[in-house]
This record gives sequence, structure tokens and C-alpha cells, in this order.
Amino acid sequence: MDRNQFSEFYDENIQRVFRFIYLRVDTAETAQDLTSLVFLKFWQRQTIQKEKQSKKVLNPKAFLFQIARNQIIDFYREKSKKPLSLDYVGEIADFQIAKQTFIQKIELNFEMERIKKALLKINPLYADIIIWRYVNEMPNKEIAQILKKKEGNIRVILHRAMESLKKELE
Amino acid sequence: MNEKNLIEQLKEFKTIKPNNDWVNWLKANLLEIKFNNILERPKVRLVSFSFIKHRNFIPVLLGLFAIVSFSFAQVSLPGNILYPIKTLTQDTRIYLSSDQAKPMVRLEIAKSRMEDLSKIQNHEKEIKEMVKTINKDLELVPQEIKKINKKQVALDVSKNIQEKSKDLQGMADRIVLEENDKQELTKTVENTQSQVLALIIETTDEINQCPSFLSNNLIEISGYFADTDMKILMNQWSMSEVIKAKALLSEASESFKAGDCLTAMEKIESINQLLSILSLDVQVETSTSENLDEGSSIIPLTEESIEEKNY
Repeated sequence: MDRNQFSEFYDENIQRVFRFIYLRVDTAETAQDLTSLVFLKFWQRQTIQKEKQSKKVLNPKAFLFQIARNQIIDFYREKSKKPLSLDYVGEIADFQIAKQTFIQKIELNFEMERIKKALLKINPLYADIIIWRYVNEMPNKEIAQILKKKEGNIRVILHRAMESLKKELE
Repeated sequence: MNEKNLIEQLKEFKTIKPNNDWVNWLKANLLEIKFNNILERPKVRLVSFSFIKHRNFIPVLLGLFAIVSFSFAQVSLPGNILYPIKTLTQDTRIYLSSDQAKPMVRLEIAKSRMEDLSKIQNHEKEIKEMVKTINKDLELVPQEIKKINKKQVALDVSKNIQEKSKDLQGMADRIVLEENDKQELTKTVENTQSQVLALIIETTDEINQCPSFLSNNLIEISGYFADTDMKILMNQWSMSEVIKAKALLSEASESFKAGDCLTAMEKIESINQLLSILSLDVQVETSTSENLDEGSSIIPLTEESIEEKNY
């Protein structure tokens, strides 16, 4: 993948990745930082592949989200495995980002906030699949490629994920 | 909330978008990054035989072959294809030994060859040849002892060889030989042992028999101190030097009488160094009777002569 190809790829996926990460972490600033890391690692891998003529990534998009997923895991491993408290999430609904001059303001209505909190509480795998399927509108096949599972398994997991989320919201 | 409503709510999250400026900033920075120290997994390569083409491969291979052959040769026995390498190695060891070490090395190798012969029974031709070599080695041992210049060293070597050769006869008995060959080998062993013993006796006598030049020197020095006036002596040396020299001369004389030639020589050399007298140049190996003065005798110093000079 050369610079132009990466540029296009970046444009296609930056929002999806940011969205995915934002719904899995506490603040938009954290989402920005993690998103930066994800693309940095992806671009690094592409650069190595080109210079060293190593094995080519067959599914760049799946690879990108695998990196994103791993970054989230690392983030929580470093901080805490427990999700943030509800009060804290409520306070940062209207967040302020101090990333140089970039201020990210995300407004969520009450229901969206409730769902976001619930997503942080359920099984991470369930939350991932829900976000990919219904927020990023990725097909089951793509999700299967990210998780390296069969498509049929993804349908089953997705069903269980939705049940879990519904239960959490009750 | 039913699933349909939930899904619709989830889709509303699509409105979440990152800050556009931040997106552009990140993209620009990513494209400008130059990755250094890129980490990667080490590549596993299949075994390559390209080293065969290296110019040093054959010399190294030959060297390795030589080392391996040499190693195996050292444990080979007569009749084995590698045994000539072993004998060549042994002969080389003898050749490279110093004069002092040569007799002992040769004896050890002769014993090693006898040991090898005792382990085989067939190969009559090889055994015959090797017995000849052993006989020659044993005959050379006493001759090489005689070549050692220093008598004391020669004496020590002879004694060591005498000790090490005690089991020669037993080793000769273990070799399966024809009767004639066995008798010849036994005879050689006995001759060698006899000659070494004779050398020990002869060398010991030579060492104990102080050379005549030593007695001459003692006479000269004694005569000098006896005949020279004290005043003249004191002009040349200090009192302490003269006293010390006379004491050393007395000790040398006593050692000579006791047959301790080495001590006598040391004392005389000390006098020489003390008074810077011309070196007596004592050489044990060159004892001739040319300088012998039949009428000479050592003039012993008396205690009186020492005391009267002592002030």
C-alpha cells in the first residue's frame, strides 16, 4: 500500500474507527489518541511490508479493526478492566478535548447515553460486534474476518449480544 | 425496548464523527512519519549449502580431515592404516625435544610402542618392524644421556630413566614374538638398563670428584692472602671486604675437603665478586690434569691470622 492508497483507505475508515473506539472508551480525547495509535500501527505495518517485502495483509480493513480492538484491550489493561462509573460517563457527554487545537464535541441524547453506558458494561466481544454490525453497518462476513470466526458463529454471537444489551438496558 | 427500536437507536451513533481538523492533522502527520528501528520478526531461513562454494571451504575441510585422522591415528595399533601417522607423530616428538628431554621422550615412546605390540597377535611383519624400531630407540637412550652437557642434569635424567625403565622387561614379556626376536629385545632392554646405571655411577663420581682447577684456584687465592701484606690489601679493599673474603676462603677450603665441590665453587665465586678478582670460570665438564701442580697444597687460614687483622 503506497501513500495514495493509504490516504484513501484512511479517508474511508477514519470515522468508523473513531466511532468504534469512542463507544468503547470513556472520552473523545481518549478515542482520538487510540485512533491515532491504530492508524499509526497500521501505516507502520504497511511500510514494513513494502520495505522488507514481507507477507502482504490480505484484508486491510479487518486488520485495521483488529488493531483497534487490541488497542482498546491494552487501554483497559493499563487503566482498569472495569468500565467507568455511570456518573463519570454522564459528566463527559459534553466533553472537551485538548488535543492541540482540536476540540471534539460529541452530543448524545439521553437514550444514546444510556446505550453507551450499557455497551461499556456488557461483554466486550458483544459490544464490539454490536458496534460493527449496527453502528458501522459492517456485514457479518467482514466481522467474521476481523474475529477470524465463521460467519454463522457471528450471527449467533450477535443475537446473544443484543439479548445481553437489552437485558442491561432494562 | 424491543430489538428493532434498539437497532434504530444504535444506528443513530453513526452521527458521531471526529473533528475534521484533527482528522486532517492526523493524516498529514501519518504520511510524513519515517519509521526507524522497525521491529519485525526474525526471518527463518532454510539451511543453505552455499558455503560449499566458499574459497576456503576445501582447505578447511582438508584441515578438519587431517585433525580427525590424527586423532584416530593416536589410538591405532600396528597393522592399522593410520598407524604410520602415529609413528610419524612419535618420531617428530623425539626430534623436536631438547637434548635434556630427548632421552626420556624416546624411552616413553619406546614403551608406548611396546604397549601397542602387546595388544596385537597377528601382523607378524609389522611386529618385526616395530621391534627393530624399539631396539633402536632403547639403544639410543644412553647415548643421548651422554650428550647432556651439564653433569648434574645428566645425573637427574639418568636416575629418572632408571626408574621409568624398571617395567621394560615385563612389557617385553607381554609381546607375542618369535623366540629370536624376543631374546634380542630382552637383551636390548638389559643393555639399556645397564648402560643407564653405569652412567649414573660415572656421573656421580665425576661430580663428587672435584675438578683439579678448583683446587688450583683455592691454592692461588689462599696464597695471595697469605703472601700479601695487609697494608697492601687495605689499599685495595676495605677491612670488611678482606675479612669477608678470608671467611669465604676458609669455608671453600672446608667444602673442598669434604668433597662438596659445588659449595666450594660457590664460595670462590663469591670471593671473586666481592673483590672483583678475575673470574675463576668454573666448568664442571672440563676437568683436566694439565693445570695440576703436584707440589701445591692448600694453605689453610688460621684463626690467628684472621684475628690479628681484625681491628
